[in-house]
Amino acid sequence: MSPLDILIREQKRVHAGNLRLAIVSAIGVAVASTALLGLSGWFIVASAVAGAAGVAAAQAFNVLLPSATIRLLAIVRTAARYGERLTGHAAALRALAAIRPALFASLAAAPPAEALALSRGEASARLVQDVDAVETRFVRLSAPWNAAAGLACALVLAALAGWAPALAIAVFAGAALLAARALARRYSAPARTEVQARVGALKDTAAALVAASAELRAYGLAGWAGETLNAKAAALDAARLDAARAQALVQASQAAILGAAVAAAIACAAPAGAPLAALAGLAAGMGIEALAGLALAFDQDGAADAAHARLNEILRHAPRAAGSASPPARLTVLGVTLERGQRLAVLGPSGCGKTTVIETLLGLRGQASPAPRSAFAWLPQDAALIAGSVRDNLRLAAPKATDDQLWAVLEDACLAERVRAAPEGLDAWLGDDGERLSGGERRRLALARAYLRDAPWLLLDEPTEGLDPTTEAQVVERLRRRLDRTGQGLLLVSHRPAPATICATRITLGAPPEAAPNPVRAPKMQAATAD
Amino acid sequence: MGAVTAQLNSEHEAKAWLTRTARLGGPAARRAGLWVLMDGAAAIGFAAGLAFGVDAIAERKGPGALAVWLGLVLAASALRGGLSLLAASAGAQAARETKQAARSDLVAALFTGPRRPVGAAATALVEGIEALDGFFARFLPARLAAAALPLLLIAVAAVASPISAAILLGAMIPFIAAMALAGTLAAAESRAQFRALERLSGLFLDRVRALPVVLAFEAERTTTAALSRAARDLAERTIRVLRAAFLSSAALEFFAALSVALVAVYCGFNLLRLLPFPVPEQLDLKRAFFVLALAPEVYAPMRRLAAAYHDRQAAQAAAASLSTFVPPAPKAADAPLAGAPTIVFEGVTARYPDTDAPAVDGFTLTARAGTITALVGASGAGKSTLLNLLLDLAPLTGGRILADGRPCTDLSREVAWAGQSPLILPASIADNIALSRPDASRAEIAAAARAVGLTLDRPGGLDFVLDERGGGLSGGERRRLSLARALLKPAPILLLDEPTANLDAAAEAELLSAIREAAKGRTTLVATHSEAVAALADQVVRL
Repeated sequence: MSPLDILIREQKRVHAGNLRLAIVSAIGVAVASTALLGLSGWFIVASAVAGAAGVAAAQAFNVLLPSATIRLLAIVRTAARYGERLTGHAAALRALAAIRPALFASLAAAPPAEALALSRGEASARLVQDVDAVETRFVRLSAPWNAAAGLACALVLAALAGWAPALAIAVFAGAALLAARALARRYSAPARTEVQARVGALKDTAAALVAASAELRAYGLAGWAGETLNAKAAALDAARLDAARAQALVQASQAAILGAAVAAAIACAAPAGAPLAALAGLAAGMGIEALAGLALAFDQDGAADAAHARLNEILRHAPRAAGSASPPARLTVLGVTLERGQRLAVLGPSGCGKTTVIETLLGLRGQASPAPRSAFAWLPQDAALIAGSVRDNLRLAAPKATDDQLWAVLEDACLAERVRAAPEGLDAWLGDDGERLSGGERRRLALARAYLRDAPWLLLDEPTEGLDPTTEAQVVERLRRRLDRTGQGLLLVSHRPAPATICATRITLGAPPEAAPNPVRAPKMQAATAD
Repeated sequence: MGAVTAQLNSEHEAKAWLTRTARLGGPAARRAGLWVLMDGAAAIGFAAGLAFGVDAIAERKGPGALAVWLGLVLAASALRGGLSLLAASAGAQAARETKQAARSDLVAALFTGPRRPVGAAATALVEGIEALDGFFARFLPARLAAAALPLLLIAVAAVASPISAAILLGAMIPFIAAMALAGTLAAAESRAQFRALERLSGLFLDRVRALPVVLAFEAERTTTAALSRAARDLAERTIRVLRAAFLSSAALEFFAALSVALVAVYCGFNLLRLLPFPVPEQLDLKRAFFVLALAPEVYAPMRRLAAAYHDRQAAQAAAASLSTFVPPAPKAADAPLAGAPTIVFEGVTARYPDTDAPAVDGFTLTARAGTITALVGASGAGKSTLLNLLLDLAPLTGGRILADGRPCTDLSREVAWAGQSPLILPASIADNIALSRPDASRAEIAAAARAVGLTLDRPGGLDFVLDERGGGLSGGERRRLSLARALLKPAPILLLDEPTANLDAAAEAELLSAIREAAKGRTTLVATHSEAVAALADQVVRL
């Protein structure tokens, strides 16, 4: 049993009440629909026969029971349909609300190399489209019951006219299901898979071309870029057309089989008389129509199977319990052993593996880290922020921090003045990845976030990149004072000389040749000076 | 109040945009409508076959007559199957044509208009356009069917039984009222719902993007908990919206079922001649059964329309953002420059739409012909905007830009450009360089590569094929490739956007000579925060 199946089963158990109600309602819908039309047909024909037989026969004909039943069925069908849709969707939505965070937790628990390799486009495909494909598993949970009840009701009604019409309906129902399944496998599944692949390809191309607008403009390539994009999009459009045709083909097969079933049921029921033949014919129609939900599910299954496989890939990783290992007293980096409170600067050209050193310490690189993550407070090289307010971003480091603490770290990162100037202050919304901030402001906010975390070691990756020399000097000075106060250790990585001045120990890593396929190489110690 | 008005305006604009876009579709849209309408004719055939078939049994007309009418049932349903295939196909075709037209406009706006954030542009191009699919493929044909078919079918029913037709018509009134009510009730709430859903997916994607930070700060649990809360909130809100939506569709269903039941009961009593009131018509089995079989078909198109309602919702939400991309009016091309020009910025202000502050405010500069000017400053100071202004990628909202004393709007034909992350195509290095001048000879390409120090010691040299992600080139080599491109285009202006960002000092130093080479004989503007690059310049401007 796959992890997704386990998750889905658990959600099914949690929402069993609603799902059962949905199934019961679905059965009610199918029975009421089939009976409504079948009974109406019978009623009219029987009335006609009685009416034709003369006034006495017409008077003797019990009109009250069938006409009352017909109206009752109309009401039952409405109520049941409402119940089915509401309870089914409610269960599905609540289940998805549990499944999406579970996916995120698994993603966070996956080996970092795997989780971090997921591009934005892929992540969106998993968390949005793939999970939507799971939704159908809940919403359509009642489809087989609806189909079975509709079919069973049709068979019972048809059996009133003899075994032959019932058998005919059963045969055509089987044919309808087999046809839908075969057509969906042959046409829908490949078309839908193709659509997903094409969407991904178009997204990648669109992002690359839009990012290169300046180049495209300068070299008169706007037309070429448009053609390139339109060609990729045309491939997607073609796949969508195929998928739509495949779905229509499934539906067309059902319509044709429905007609055949109605004709066959009437023909087989003819010996039983017109009223029962009408009953059998209309019951056959409704019985086959009840299978529509299942046919639709077959059509969508191709995509759902692929989505399930991909989600299972992620869900393999069970979230771990929070680590309780205590931070080590000393840290060995690139052969240098640091006691608590000591400061090391790793200098060197870009591409020589400085960032790799830090990411390895944090266990973001596959190899096991010598220390638990709780030992470190990190400023990443890209100064990544989350979409949210200043407060949201800082609180990532310390969920219970007070506003005073937030202002204090902003002060240390030379950003308090800027935040205070905004009317919303700490609640100022920063947009995606801090897009409303300049590069330097983003970096200082990420620095403040690192300061807020109560960890024995600070890992700062290019803390002053993008800052003007004055701000840089100020940031470095406040960092020095802060470290003196907190007694935190520091591992600093930079290609700028200014921040390294506050570190007692400096290492310079050698530059790799330009075309090295893998920039991560064994560090070459050039100097380790202590003053 | 202002916000509400703005929202209403943007909704109005989105609808107008959708209507305009719908006109871009080709003949497929009309074909889809035709097939859908013909389905009504097939439904009539089906009902007639049923009615006459049952009548043939009742009147004992023999197996021959029965076979004929059941043959009609078979043929009509096969026809309906075929028509639904044609209609779906034509609908998808219409959606494809409309999407292609809308996409072409969008692409034109993106690549010839002012610069847009990459994320917003890519989302508009893919998700935005795809959200239109259901609207054109399903909603519009369904709307046509709902407008035309019910009345058509009622008219046909009136031929068999005017009173049954009157019952069907009478039930339409509450049916349409329920549908309109459903529309207005659910629409506002579900729009809000739609936006909330978008925000939630955005939230998940954002946290996935920031996963390294979440991991490093051990915030997995708090983040997951926050995501759970947001997801649960949204689920409950969605369920409330659905309750209203389903209630209205239940109303539709109810009136549909009720009218079938009323027709059945009326026909039955009429046939029994037991009606408590006088009626001008006396039905026979054929007519009664025909009307009964037709009754569900009268309401089916409207129920299909209600089911396609969310397609319209999705399209309108997408249209709200798509309608903000407007292709710029074609501008008269500036007269070509004779040689490296003197470029003057006079009190230049550039403010992007939807931003609080101008990116550049009252900027003045004279870059003399053939010199290098360095624009130095932290990111966000507006360096790139100044370069973008010369390419018409940024909006010039104040002041003027003069080239050799003439005001100019778009110098892109006169510009060679190199930046920090050049466009890399899955093609050979030579083809990648020649992007700036496709007619360049092999010797010219090789010369440009040599001039910027792009050493090609890999198999195939210039013919080495790069992959989609530009794999096989180091960061420094990409910049060189970009400079080689700039060198290949004989343009009198050279713009360099952070040509050495994220390079170490050694790699930067090696690149400087290539920059000097590329700048020869041109008026060069370079945006940088590197002092080493600034040292190359004849003039340094700090922003």
